[in-house]
Amino acid sequence: MNNIIEVSNFTKRFGDFTAVDNISFSVEEGSIFAFLGPNGAGKSTTINTLCTILDKTEGRLKINGTDVAENKSKVRKDIGIVFQESTLDGKLTARENIYLHCDFYNVPKNEVGERADFVLELVDLQEWGNAPVASLSGGMKRRVEIARGLAHSPRVLFLDEPTAGLDPQTRANIWDYVRKLQQQQNITIFLTTHNMEEAEICQQIAVIDHGRLVALDTLHNLKAQYTSTTMRIRTKQEDLLSGYLRERSLRYEINDGMFTVSSAQLATILEVVSTFHNCITDLEISKGTLNDVFLAITGREVRA
Amino acid sequence: MRAIKAIFMRNLINFYRDRTRFFFTIFMAVFFLFIFSFVMKAAAIGMANPMNYLISGIIIMSVFQTALNNSMNIIEDVASGFMREILVSPISRWQISIGQVLSSTAIALLQGLIIVIIGLFMGLQADPLHFLEMIGVMILVGIAFSSIGLWLATLAKSSTTFQVLVSVFVMPLTFLSGAYIPTTAMPGFLLPIVYLNPLTYTTSVFRYISLKMEGLPAAQLIKAGVAFNIHGFTIMPYFGLIMIVFIGMLFLSLCVSQFNRADFSTVKVFRHSR
Repeated sequence: MNNIIEVSNFTKRFGDFTAVDNISFSVEEGSIFAFLGPNGAGKSTTINTLCTILDKTEGRLKINGTDVAENKSKVRKDIGIVFQESTLDGKLTARENIYLHCDFYNVPKNEVGERADFVLELVDLQEWGNAPVASLSGGMKRRVEIARGLAHSPRVLFLDEPTAGLDPQTRANIWDYVRKLQQQQNITIFLTTHNMEEAEICQQIAVIDHGRLVALDTLHNLKAQYTSTTMRIRTKQEDLLSGYLRERSLRYEINDGMFTVSSAQLATILEVVSTFHNCITDLEISKGTLNDVFLAITGREVRA
Repeated sequence: MRAIKAIFMRNLINFYRDRTRFFFTIFMAVFFLFIFSFVMKAAAIGMANPMNYLISGIIIMSVFQTALNNSMNIIEDVASGFMREILVSPISRWQISIGQVLSSTAIALLQGLIIVIIGLFMGLQADPLHFLEMIGVMILVGIAFSSIGLWLATLAKSSTTFQVLVSVFVMPLTFLSGAYIPTTAMPGFLLPIVYLNPLTYTTSVFRYISLKMEGLPAAQLIKAGVAFNIHGFTIMPYFGLIMIVFIGMLFLSLCVSQFNRADFSTVKVFRHSR
Protein backbone atom coordinates (compact mmCIF):
# COMPACT_ATOMS: atom_id res chain seq x y z
CA MET A 1 0.00 0.00 0.00
CA ASN A 2 1.10 3.55 -0.76
CA ASN A 3 1.52 6.16 1.87
CA ILE A 4 -0.47 9.18 0.77
CA ILE A 5 0.63 11.33 3.69
CA GLU A 6 4.13 11.26 5.10
CA VAL A 7 5.20 13.39 8.02
CA SER A 8 8.66 13.22 9.47
CA ASN A 9 10.08 15.13 12.42
CA PHE A 10 7.45 17.84 12.15
CA THR A 11 7.72 20.64 14.69
CA LYS A 12 5.66 23.82 14.89
CA ARG A 13 6.39 26.63 17.29
CA PHE A 14 4.50 29.87 17.89
CA GLY A 15 7.09 32.11 19.49
CA ASP A 16 8.21 30.28 22.61
CA PHE A 17 5.26 27.94 22.59
CA THR A 18 5.82 24.56 20.97
CA ALA A 19 2.46 23.44 19.62
CA VAL A 20 3.73 20.31 17.90
CA ASP A 21 6.93 18.65 19.00
CA ASN A 22 8.84 16.46 16.54
CA ILE A 23 6.14 14.07 15.33
CA SER A 24 6.39 11.51 12.53
CA PHE A 25 3.69 9.34 11.00
CA SER A 26 2.35 8.15 7.68
CA VAL A 27 -1.14 7.46 6.38
CA GLU A 28 -1.99 4.63 3.99
CA GLU A 29 -3.88 5.49 0.86
CA GLY A 30 -7.59 4.71 1.13
CA SER A 31 -7.69 4.41 4.89
CA ILE A 32 -9.45 6.40 7.60
CA PHE A 33 -6.89 7.92 9.90
CA ALA A 34 -7.78 9.58 13.18
CA PHE A 35 -5.81 12.15 15.03
CA LEU A 36 -7.01 11.79 18.56
CA GLY A 37 -6.29 14.10 21.43
CA PRO A 38 -7.72 16.68 23.78
CA ASN A 39 -8.28 20.30 22.73
CA GLY A 40 -5.01 22.15 22.48
CA ALA A 41 -2.96 19.00 21.93
CA GLY A 42 -1.73 20.15 18.52
CA LYS A 43 -4.27 18.44 16.27
CA SER A 44 -5.48 21.55 14.50
CA THR A 45 -1.94 22.87 14.15
CA THR A 46 -0.90 19.67 12.40
CA ILE A 47 -3.94 19.57 10.14
CA ASN A 48 -3.52 23.27 9.29
CA THR A 49 0.10 22.73 8.36
CA LEU A 50 -0.79 19.75 6.18
CA CYS A 51 -3.47 21.90 4.55
CA THR A 52 -0.89 24.63 3.74
CA ILE A 53 -2.54 27.21 6.00
CA LEU A 54 0.35 27.30 8.45
CA ASP A 55 4.04 26.97 7.71
CA LYS A 56 6.06 24.33 9.52
CA THR A 57 8.95 25.30 11.78
CA GLU A 58 10.92 22.11 11.15
CA GLY A 59 10.52 18.73 9.51
CA ARG A 60 9.09 17.40 6.29
CA LEU A 61 5.45 16.95 5.28
CA LYS A 62 4.37 15.28 2.06
CA ILE A 63 0.97 14.69 0.53
CA ASN A 64 0.64 12.44 -2.48
CA GLY A 65 4.40 12.72 -2.98
CA THR A 66 4.41 16.54 -2.98
CA ASP A 67 6.24 18.53 -0.32
CA VAL A 68 3.66 20.73 1.39
CA ALA A 69 6.09 23.64 1.79
CA GLU A 70 7.34 23.49 -1.80
CA ASN A 71 4.26 23.24 -3.97
CA LYS A 72 1.27 24.58 -2.09
CA SER A 73 -1.09 24.83 -5.03
CA LYS A 74 -0.49 21.22 -6.10
CA VAL A 75 -1.16 20.08 -2.55
CA ARG A 76 -4.28 22.26 -2.37
CA LYS A 77 -5.69 20.56 -5.46
CA ASP A 78 -5.05 17.12 -3.98
CA ILE A 79 -6.86 17.78 -0.74
CA GLY A 80 -10.34 18.66 0.41
CA ILE A 81 -10.86 20.32 3.76
CA VAL A 82 -13.82 20.50 6.07
CA PHE A 83 -13.09 22.87 8.90
CA GLN A 84 -14.41 22.79 12.42
CA GLU A 85 -16.28 26.06 11.87
CA SER A 86 -18.45 26.60 8.83
CA THR A 87 -16.78 28.18 5.82
CA LEU A 88 -19.85 28.20 3.60
CA ASP A 89 -21.34 31.35 2.14
CA GLY A 90 -24.73 31.48 3.85
CA LYS A 91 -26.32 33.72 1.23
CA LEU A 92 -25.56 31.30 -1.58
CA THR A 93 -27.38 28.02 -2.13
CA ALA A 94 -25.67 24.68 -1.54
CA ARG A 95 -25.25 24.23 -5.28
CA GLU A 96 -23.85 27.75 -5.75
CA ASN A 97 -21.33 27.09 -3.00
CA ILE A 98 -20.20 23.97 -4.83
CA TYR A 99 -20.03 25.76 -8.20
CA LEU A 100 -17.94 28.50 -6.66
CA HIS A 101 -15.62 25.88 -5.20
CA CYS A 102 -15.26 24.27 -8.63
CA ASP A 103 -14.30 27.66 -10.10
CA PHE A 104 -11.61 28.08 -7.47
CA TYR A 105 -10.24 24.57 -8.08
CA ASN A 106 -10.54 24.88 -11.85
CA VAL A 107 -12.78 21.85 -12.33
CA PRO A 108 -13.50 21.65 -16.11
CA LYS A 109 -16.63 23.73 -16.76
CA ASN A 110 -18.55 21.00 -18.55
CA GLU A 111 -18.11 18.67 -15.57
CA VAL A 112 -19.18 21.09 -12.86
CA GLY A 113 -22.92 20.37 -13.02
CA GLU A 114 -22.38 16.63 -12.93
CA ARG A 115 -19.88 16.86 -10.08
CA ALA A 116 -22.33 18.95 -8.04
CA ASP A 117 -25.13 16.38 -8.59
CA PHE A 118 -22.78 13.58 -7.67
CA VAL A 119 -21.44 15.05 -4.42
CA LEU A 120 -24.87 16.27 -3.30
CA GLU A 121 -26.19 12.75 -3.81
CA LEU A 122 -23.28 11.31 -1.81
CA VAL A 123 -24.47 13.21 1.24
CA ASP A 124 -28.19 12.74 0.45
CA LEU A 125 -28.85 16.39 -0.23
CA GLN A 126 -29.93 16.24 -3.87
CA GLU A 127 -33.29 17.73 -2.87
CA TRP A 128 -31.66 20.64 -1.07
CA GLY A 129 -29.25 21.87 -3.72
CA ASN A 130 -31.16 25.08 -4.33
CA ALA A 131 -31.84 25.98 -0.71
CA PRO A 132 -29.87 28.92 0.69
CA VAL A 133 -27.24 27.52 3.04
CA ALA A 134 -28.33 29.84 5.85
CA SER A 135 -31.71 28.06 5.93
CA LEU A 136 -30.22 24.57 6.45
CA SER A 137 -29.76 22.83 9.81
CA GLY A 138 -26.34 22.38 11.40
CA GLY A 139 -26.03 18.77 10.27
CA MET A 140 -27.06 19.61 6.71
CA LYS A 141 -24.56 22.43 6.55
CA ARG A 142 -21.82 20.04 7.60
CA ARG A 143 -22.93 17.66 4.85
CA VAL A 144 -22.89 20.47 2.27
CA GLU A 145 -19.42 21.25 3.46
CA ILE A 146 -18.31 17.63 3.03
CA ALA A 147 -19.90 17.57 -0.44
CA ARG A 148 -18.13 20.78 -1.39
CA GLY A 149 -14.81 19.46 -0.11
CA LEU A 150 -15.19 16.51 -2.48
CA ALA A 151 -16.28 18.50 -5.53
CA HIS A 152 -12.79 18.73 -7.03
CA SER A 153 -12.13 14.98 -6.54
CA PRO A 154 -9.40 15.27 -3.92
CA ARG A 155 -7.17 12.32 -2.95
CA VAL A 156 -7.33 13.14 0.75
CA LEU A 157 -10.23 14.61 2.69
CA PHE A 158 -9.35 16.40 5.90
CA LEU A 159 -12.11 16.58 8.46
CA ASP A 160 -11.36 18.76 11.46
CA GLU A 161 -13.74 17.69 14.24
CA PRO A 162 -16.40 16.74 11.69
CA THR A 163 -19.17 16.12 14.19
CA ALA A 164 -18.41 18.74 16.82
CA GLY A 165 -21.61 20.43 17.97
CA LEU A 166 -23.96 17.97 16.28
CA ASP A 167 -26.62 15.84 17.94
CA PRO A 168 -25.96 12.06 18.28
CA GLN A 169 -28.23 11.05 15.40
CA THR A 170 -26.68 13.53 12.99
CA ARG A 171 -23.27 12.37 14.16
CA ALA A 172 -24.08 8.80 13.30
CA ASN A 173 -25.26 9.92 9.86
CA ILE A 174 -22.05 11.81 9.20
CA TRP A 175 -20.02 8.74 10.17
CA ASP A 176 -22.05 6.68 7.73
CA TYR A 177 -21.24 9.13 4.95
CA VAL A 178 -17.57 9.11 5.86
CA ARG A 179 -17.45 5.31 5.80
CA LYS A 180 -19.35 5.18 2.53
CA LEU A 181 -16.95 7.65 1.00
CA GLN A 182 -13.93 5.71 2.00
CA GLN A 183 -15.35 2.44 0.72
CA GLN A 184 -16.83 3.68 -2.56
CA GLN A 185 -14.42 6.43 -3.57
CA ASN A 186 -11.18 5.08 -2.15
CA ILE A 187 -10.51 8.47 -0.66
CA THR A 188 -8.11 8.74 2.23
CA ILE A 189 -9.78 10.38 5.19
CA PHE A 190 -7.81 12.18 7.81
CA LEU A 191 -9.87 13.31 10.73
CA THR A 192 -9.10 14.97 14.00
CA THR A 193 -11.33 14.39 16.94
CA HIS A 194 -11.52 14.32 20.68
CA ASN A 195 -14.55 12.12 20.45
CA MET A 196 -13.76 8.49 21.23
CA GLU A 197 -16.69 6.94 19.38
CA GLU A 198 -15.68 8.84 16.30
CA ALA A 199 -12.19 7.38 16.39
CA GLU A 200 -13.66 3.86 16.59
CA ILE A 201 -14.48 3.89 12.85
CA CYS A 202 -10.87 4.51 11.91
CA GLN A 203 -8.29 1.99 10.82
CA GLN A 204 -5.34 3.88 12.23
CA ILE A 205 -5.28 6.05 15.28
CA ALA A 206 -2.61 8.48 16.34
CA VAL A 207 -2.90 9.72 19.88
CA ILE A 208 -1.42 13.15 20.43
CA ASP A 209 -0.99 14.95 23.71
CA HIS A 210 0.88 18.14 24.55
CA GLY A 211 2.19 18.29 20.99
CA ARG A 212 3.76 14.82 21.17
CA LEU A 213 2.71 11.66 19.41
CA VAL A 214 2.17 9.20 22.27
CA ALA A 215 0.71 6.25 20.37
CA LEU A 216 0.14 5.23 16.76
CA ASP A 217 -1.50 1.95 15.87
CA THR A 218 -4.66 0.23 14.71
CA LEU A 219 -7.66 0.45 16.96
CA HIS A 220 -7.43 -3.29 17.63
CA ASN A 221 -3.77 -3.20 18.65
CA LEU A 222 -4.24 -0.15 20.82
CA LYS A 223 -7.03 -1.84 22.70
CA ALA A 224 -5.12 -5.08 23.01
CA GLN A 225 -2.08 -3.28 24.30
CA TYR A 226 -3.60 -0.73 26.63
CA THR A 227 -6.88 -2.08 27.85
CA SER A 228 -8.00 -5.12 29.74
CA THR A 229 -11.09 -7.28 29.48
CA THR A 230 -13.59 -6.64 32.20
CA MET A 231 -16.05 -9.26 33.42
CA ARG A 232 -19.02 -8.74 35.66
CA ILE A 233 -20.18 -12.05 37.07
CA ARG A 234 -22.77 -13.28 39.56
CA THR A 235 -22.76 -16.87 40.82
CA LYS A 236 -24.67 -19.02 43.29
CA GLN A 237 -21.38 -19.79 45.02
CA GLU A 238 -19.80 -16.51 45.97
CA ASP A 239 -17.40 -18.01 48.53
CA LEU A 240 -15.99 -20.48 46.02
CA LEU A 241 -15.54 -17.73 43.43
CA SER A 242 -13.80 -15.33 45.78
CA GLY A 243 -11.52 -18.15 46.95
CA TYR A 244 -10.73 -19.05 43.35
CA LEU A 245 -9.91 -15.45 42.46
CA ARG A 246 -7.72 -14.95 45.53
CA GLU A 247 -5.86 -18.17 44.74
CA ARG A 248 -4.95 -16.81 41.31
CA SER A 249 -4.28 -13.37 42.80
CA LEU A 250 -6.83 -11.73 40.50
CA ARG A 251 -8.10 -8.43 41.83
CA TYR A 252 -11.84 -8.11 42.11
CA GLU A 253 -14.59 -5.99 43.57
CA ILE A 254 -17.89 -7.17 44.92
CA ASN A 255 -20.95 -5.04 44.80
CA ASP A 256 -24.17 -6.65 46.01
CA GLY A 257 -23.02 -10.12 44.94
CA MET A 258 -21.77 -8.89 41.52
CA PHE A 259 -18.06 -9.53 41.02
CA THR A 260 -16.09 -7.22 38.76
CA VAL A 261 -12.86 -8.78 37.51
CA SER A 262 -10.37 -7.26 35.08
CA SER A 263 -7.51 -8.91 33.28
CA ALA A 264 -5.32 -8.18 30.33
CA GLN A 265 -5.56 -11.83 29.32
CA LEU A 266 -8.85 -12.93 27.81
CA ALA A 267 -7.90 -16.56 28.56
CA THR A 268 -7.86 -15.89 32.30
CA ILE A 269 -11.38 -14.51 32.11
CA LEU A 270 -12.63 -17.44 30.05
CA GLU A 271 -11.09 -19.85 32.52
CA VAL A 272 -13.16 -18.36 35.31
CA VAL A 273 -16.28 -18.70 33.18
CA SER A 274 -15.61 -22.33 32.29
CA THR A 275 -14.82 -23.26 35.88
CA PHE A 276 -18.05 -21.78 37.22
CA HIS A 277 -20.28 -22.29 34.18
CA ASN A 278 -22.71 -24.43 36.16
CA CYS A 279 -23.56 -21.83 38.73
CA ILE A 280 -23.36 -18.50 36.85
CA THR A 281 -26.58 -16.50 37.15
CA ASP A 282 -25.45 -13.36 35.37
CA LEU A 283 -22.49 -12.56 33.15
CA GLU A 284 -21.21 -9.59 31.19
CA ILE A 285 -17.86 -9.34 29.42
CA SER A 286 -16.63 -6.13 27.86
CA LYS A 287 -13.54 -4.96 26.06
CA GLY A 288 -11.88 -1.71 27.04
CA THR A 289 -12.86 1.41 25.15
CA LEU A 290 -10.66 3.91 23.42
CA ASN A 291 -11.19 6.12 26.43
CA ASP A 292 -9.41 3.48 28.52
CA VAL A 293 -6.61 3.47 25.98
CA PHE A 294 -6.25 7.20 26.31
CA LEU A 295 -6.40 6.97 30.08
CA ALA A 296 -3.72 4.28 30.11
CA ILE A 297 -1.40 6.24 27.80
CA THR A 298 -1.72 9.74 29.19
CA GLY A 299 -2.86 9.03 32.71
CA ARG A 300 -6.02 11.06 32.32
CA GLU A 301 -9.25 11.24 30.41
CA VAL A 302 -9.63 13.25 27.25
CA ARG A 303 -10.40 16.79 28.24
CA ALA A 304 -13.47 17.52 26.22
CA MET B 1 -9.41 34.81 -14.84
CA ARG B 2 -12.02 32.24 -13.88
CA ALA B 3 -11.35 32.77 -10.17
CA ILE B 4 -11.61 36.56 -10.48
CA LYS B 5 -14.89 36.21 -12.32
CA ALA B 6 -16.16 33.75 -9.71
CA ILE B 7 -15.40 36.13 -6.83
CA PHE B 8 -16.87 39.03 -8.81
CA MET B 9 -20.14 37.18 -9.47
CA ARG B 10 -20.35 35.88 -5.92
CA ASN B 11 -20.06 39.38 -4.47
CA LEU B 12 -22.68 40.72 -6.87
CA ILE B 13 -25.09 37.91 -5.96
CA ASN B 14 -24.48 38.60 -2.27
CA PHE B 15 -25.15 42.29 -2.80
CA TYR B 16 -28.31 41.56 -4.72
CA ARG B 17 -29.59 39.25 -1.95
CA ASP B 18 -28.83 41.78 0.76
CA ARG B 19 -31.75 44.09 0.00
CA THR B 20 -31.49 46.20 3.16
CA ARG B 21 -28.03 47.43 2.30
CA PHE B 22 -29.13 48.18 -1.23
CA PHE B 23 -32.18 50.20 -0.20
CA PHE B 24 -30.33 51.97 2.57
CA THR B 25 -27.72 53.40 0.21
CA ILE B 26 -30.40 54.58 -2.21
CA PHE B 27 -32.35 56.05 0.67
CA MET B 28 -29.29 57.94 1.92
CA ALA B 29 -28.71 59.43 -1.52
CA VAL B 30 -32.28 60.60 -1.87
CA PHE B 31 -32.19 61.91 1.69
CA PHE B 32 -29.07 63.97 0.98
CA LEU B 33 -30.62 65.20 -2.23
CA PHE B 34 -33.63 66.41 -0.28
CA ILE B 35 -31.81 67.97 2.69
CA PHE B 36 -29.08 69.71 0.76
CA SER B 37 -31.40 71.10 -1.84
CA PHE B 38 -32.60 73.41 0.97
CA VAL B 39 -29.06 74.36 1.96
CA MET B 40 -28.17 74.88 -1.66
CA LYS B 41 -30.99 77.31 -2.30
CA ALA B 42 -29.41 79.69 0.18
CA ALA B 43 -25.82 79.09 -0.93
CA ALA B 44 -26.31 78.97 -4.65
CA ILE B 45 -27.15 82.54 -5.32
CA GLY B 46 -26.11 83.41 -8.82
CA MET B 47 -25.68 79.80 -9.86
CA ALA B 48 -27.29 78.81 -13.13
CA ASN B 49 -28.66 75.43 -12.09
CA PRO B 50 -28.27 74.68 -8.38
CA MET B 51 -30.23 71.41 -8.48
CA ASN B 52 -28.02 69.85 -11.14
CA TYR B 53 -24.97 71.08 -9.32
CA LEU B 54 -26.10 69.23 -6.23
CA ILE B 55 -27.18 66.04 -8.04
CA SER B 56 -23.83 65.64 -9.73
CA GLY B 57 -22.08 65.97 -6.37
CA ILE B 58 -24.37 63.40 -4.79
CA ILE B 59 -23.89 60.92 -7.63
CA ILE B 60 -20.14 60.89 -7.30
CA MET B 61 -20.31 60.78 -3.48
CA SER B 62 -22.53 57.70 -3.57
CA VAL B 63 -20.13 56.03 -5.97
CA PHE B 64 -17.25 56.82 -3.69
CA GLN B 65 -18.99 55.78 -0.46
CA THR B 66 -20.43 52.59 -1.90
CA ALA B 67 -17.05 51.57 -3.24
CA LEU B 68 -15.42 52.20 0.11
CA ASN B 69 -18.10 50.47 2.17
CA ASN B 70 -18.38 47.44 -0.05
CA SER B 71 -14.79 46.58 0.60
CA MET B 72 -15.90 45.91 4.13
CA ASN B 73 -17.54 42.66 3.12
CA ILE B 74 -14.09 41.12 3.10
CA ILE B 75 -14.08 41.54 6.88
CA GLU B 76 -17.45 39.80 7.07
CA ASP B 77 -16.00 37.00 4.97
CA VAL B 78 -13.15 36.60 7.41
CA ALA B 79 -15.54 36.60 10.36
CA SER B 80 -18.01 34.16 8.79
CA GLY B 81 -15.20 31.76 7.86
CA PHE B 82 -15.80 31.92 4.12
CA MET B 83 -12.43 33.58 3.61
CA ARG B 84 -10.74 30.35 4.74
CA GLU B 85 -12.44 28.47 1.92
CA ILE B 86 -10.94 30.95 -0.53
CA LEU B 87 -7.53 31.05 1.14
CA VAL B 88 -7.02 27.28 1.12
CA SER B 89 -8.02 26.96 -2.54
CA PRO B 90 -5.32 26.93 -5.23
CA ILE B 91 -6.14 30.44 -6.48
CA SER B 92 -3.66 33.26 -5.86
CA ARG B 93 -4.18 36.02 -3.37
CA TRP B 94 -3.93 38.77 -5.98
CA GLN B 95 -6.87 37.24 -7.83
CA ILE B 96 -8.93 37.54 -4.66
CA SER B 97 -8.14 41.23 -4.20
CA ILE B 98 -8.69 42.09 -7.86
CA GLY B 99 -12.04 40.28 -7.85
CA GLN B 100 -12.95 42.15 -4.71
CA VAL B 101 -12.02 45.58 -6.10
CA LEU B 102 -13.83 44.94 -9.38
CA SER B 103 -17.02 43.81 -7.66
CA SER B 104 -17.05 46.84 -5.33
CA THR B 105 -16.53 49.03 -8.39
CA ALA B 106 -19.41 47.39 -10.24
CA ILE B 107 -21.74 47.79 -7.26
CA ALA B 108 -20.66 51.43 -6.84
CA LEU B 109 -21.27 52.07 -10.54
CA LEU B 110 -24.70 50.48 -10.30
CA GLN B 111 -25.54 52.67 -7.31
CA GLY B 112 -24.31 55.76 -9.16
CA LEU B 113 -26.37 54.91 -12.22
CA ILE B 114 -29.51 54.57 -10.15
CA ILE B 115 -29.00 58.09 -8.82
CA VAL B 116 -28.25 59.33 -12.32
CA ILE B 117 -31.65 57.96 -13.33
CA ILE B 118 -33.32 59.67 -10.37
CA GLY B 119 -31.38 62.80 -11.37
CA LEU B 120 -32.71 62.64 -14.93
CA PHE B 121 -36.22 63.00 -13.53
CA MET B 122 -35.09 65.96 -11.46
CA GLY B 123 -33.71 67.94 -14.36
CA LEU B 124 -30.24 66.53 -14.97
CA GLN B 125 -29.49 66.37 -18.67
CA ALA B 126 -27.05 64.00 -20.31
CA ASP B 127 -26.39 63.22 -23.95
CA PRO B 128 -24.80 59.85 -24.84
CA LEU B 129 -21.24 61.23 -24.97
CA HIS B 130 -21.43 62.89 -21.57
CA PHE B 131 -23.17 59.85 -20.19
CA LEU B 132 -20.25 57.66 -21.29
CA GLU B 133 -17.78 60.12 -19.83
CA MET B 134 -19.67 60.06 -16.55
CA ILE B 135 -19.56 56.27 -16.51
CA GLY B 136 -15.83 56.42 -17.18
CA VAL B 137 -15.21 58.73 -14.23
CA MET B 138 -17.48 56.65 -11.99
CA ILE B 139 -15.48 53.51 -12.84
CA LEU B 140 -12.18 55.25 -12.10
CA VAL B 141 -13.49 56.61 -8.80
CA GLY B 142 -14.92 53.18 -8.00
CA ILE B 143 -11.61 51.41 -8.57
CA ALA B 144 -9.65 54.02 -6.61
CA PHE B 145 -11.89 53.97 -3.56
CA SER B 146 -12.58 50.23 -3.59
CA SER B 147 -8.80 49.83 -3.41
CA ILE B 148 -8.55 52.28 -0.53
CA GLY B 149 -11.42 50.47 1.19
CA LEU B 150 -9.85 47.05 0.73
CA TRP B 151 -6.52 48.38 1.94
CA LEU B 152 -8.13 49.83 5.07
CA ALA B 153 -10.18 46.66 5.64
CA THR B 154 -7.08 44.48 5.37
CA LEU B 155 -5.26 46.72 7.82
CA ALA B 156 -8.20 47.02 10.21
CA LYS B 157 -9.16 43.32 10.23
CA SER B 158 -12.33 44.03 12.20
CA SER B 159 -15.52 45.73 11.13
CA THR B 160 -15.61 48.03 14.15
CA THR B 161 -12.12 49.36 13.47
CA PHE B 162 -13.05 49.80 9.84
CA GLN B 163 -16.19 51.73 10.75
CA VAL B 164 -14.20 54.00 13.02
CA LEU B 165 -11.61 54.62 10.29
CA VAL B 166 -14.39 55.41 7.85
CA SER B 167 -16.20 57.85 10.10
CA VAL B 168 -13.06 59.61 11.33
CA PHE B 169 -11.64 60.27 7.87
CA VAL B 170 -14.36 59.81 5.33
CA MET B 171 -17.27 61.80 6.69
CA PRO B 172 -15.32 65.06 7.19
CA LEU B 173 -13.61 64.70 3.83
CA THR B 174 -16.96 64.09 2.16
CA PHE B 175 -18.40 67.30 3.56
CA LEU B 176 -15.28 69.28 2.71
CA SER B 177 -15.24 68.14 -0.91
CA GLY B 178 -17.87 70.48 -2.27
CA ALA B 179 -20.21 67.64 -3.12
CA TYR B 180 -23.01 68.80 -0.86
CA ILE B 181 -21.95 72.32 0.04
CA PRO B 182 -20.19 74.33 -2.67
CA THR B 183 -16.57 75.08 -1.84
CA THR B 184 -17.23 78.66 -2.85
CA ALA B 185 -19.61 78.94 0.12
CA MET B 186 -17.12 77.62 2.66
CA PRO B 187 -15.30 79.82 5.18
CA GLY B 188 -11.72 80.63 4.35
CA PHE B 189 -10.11 78.72 7.22
CA LEU B 190 -11.47 75.40 5.83
CA LEU B 191 -10.07 75.96 2.35
CA PRO B 192 -6.59 74.44 2.97
CA ILE B 193 -8.30 71.15 3.92
CA VAL B 194 -10.56 71.45 0.89
CA TYR B 195 -7.54 71.87 -1.37
CA LEU B 196 -5.68 68.91 0.19
CA ASN B 197 -8.73 66.67 -0.01
CA PRO B 198 -8.57 64.31 -3.01
CA LEU B 199 -12.36 64.09 -3.00
CA THR B 200 -12.53 67.78 -3.94
CA TYR B 201 -10.98 67.05 -7.31
CA THR B 202 -12.98 63.86 -7.77
CA THR B 203 -16.13 65.88 -7.32
CA SER B 204 -14.97 68.75 -9.50
CA VAL B 205 -14.09 66.64 -12.52
CA PHE B 206 -17.36 64.75 -12.35
CA ARG B 207 -19.30 67.96 -12.03
CA TYR B 208 -17.34 69.49 -14.88
CA ILE B 209 -18.45 66.65 -17.14
CA SER B 210 -22.01 66.19 -15.97
CA LEU B 211 -22.77 69.93 -16.09
CA LYS B 212 -21.15 70.25 -19.54
CA MET B 213 -18.71 72.98 -18.63
CA GLU B 214 -16.24 72.29 -21.43
CA GLY B 215 -14.97 75.42 -23.10
CA LEU B 216 -15.79 77.74 -20.24
CA PRO B 217 -12.99 80.15 -19.32
CA ALA B 218 -10.98 79.42 -16.16
CA ALA B 219 -12.41 82.36 -14.26
CA GLN B 220 -15.92 81.02 -14.69
CA LEU B 221 -14.89 77.51 -13.68
CA ILE B 222 -13.34 78.91 -10.52
CA LYS B 223 -16.51 80.78 -9.77
CA ALA B 224 -18.52 77.57 -10.25
CA GLY B 225 -16.23 75.73 -7.85
CA VAL B 226 -14.93 73.12 -10.30
CA ALA B 227 -11.53 74.78 -10.76
CA PHE B 228 -9.48 76.25 -7.95
CA ASN B 229 -7.24 79.23 -7.61
CA ILE B 230 -4.67 78.50 -4.92
CA HIS B 231 -2.42 81.53 -4.43
CA GLY B 232 -2.44 82.38 -8.09
CA PHE B 233 -1.97 78.78 -9.23
CA THR B 234 -5.01 77.50 -11.13
CA ILE B 235 -6.04 73.87 -10.81
CA MET B 236 -8.21 72.82 -13.73
CA PRO B 237 -10.72 69.92 -13.62
CA TYR B 238 -8.59 67.59 -15.73
CA PHE B 239 -6.13 67.68 -12.85
CA GLY B 240 -8.81 65.82 -10.90
CA LEU B 241 -8.77 63.06 -13.48
CA ILE B 242 -4.99 62.66 -13.24
CA MET B 243 -5.36 62.64 -9.48
CA ILE B 244 -7.98 59.84 -9.51
CA VAL B 245 -5.88 57.72 -11.84
CA PHE B 246 -2.83 58.28 -9.65
CA ILE B 247 -4.67 57.47 -6.39
CA GLY B 248 -6.25 54.46 -8.07
CA MET B 249 -2.94 53.00 -9.21
CA LEU B 250 -1.25 53.73 -5.90
CA PHE B 251 -3.89 52.14 -3.72
CA LEU B 252 -4.61 49.26 -6.07
CA SER B 253 -0.98 48.17 -5.78
CA LEU B 254 -0.99 48.91 -2.05
CA CYS B 255 -4.08 46.85 -1.37
CA VAL B 256 -2.94 43.93 -3.51
CA SER B 257 0.42 43.77 -1.73
CA GLN B 258 -1.17 44.29 1.68
CA PHE B 259 -3.65 41.53 0.95
CA ASN B 260 -0.88 39.21 -0.21
CA ARG B 261 0.86 39.63 3.12
CA ALA B 262 -2.20 39.74 5.37
CA ASP B 263 -2.50 36.73 7.59
CA PHE B 264 -6.15 36.56 8.65
CA SER B 265 -5.96 32.82 8.90
CA THR B 266 -2.92 32.48 11.12
CA VAL B 267 -4.37 34.85 13.67
CA LYS B 268 -7.63 32.94 13.76
CA VAL B 269 -6.16 29.45 13.51
CA PHE B 270 -3.68 30.06 16.28
CA ARG B 271 -6.35 31.12 18.76
CA HIS B 272 -8.47 28.11 17.95
CA SER B 273 -5.71 25.57 18.16
CA ARG B 274 -4.60 26.66 21.60
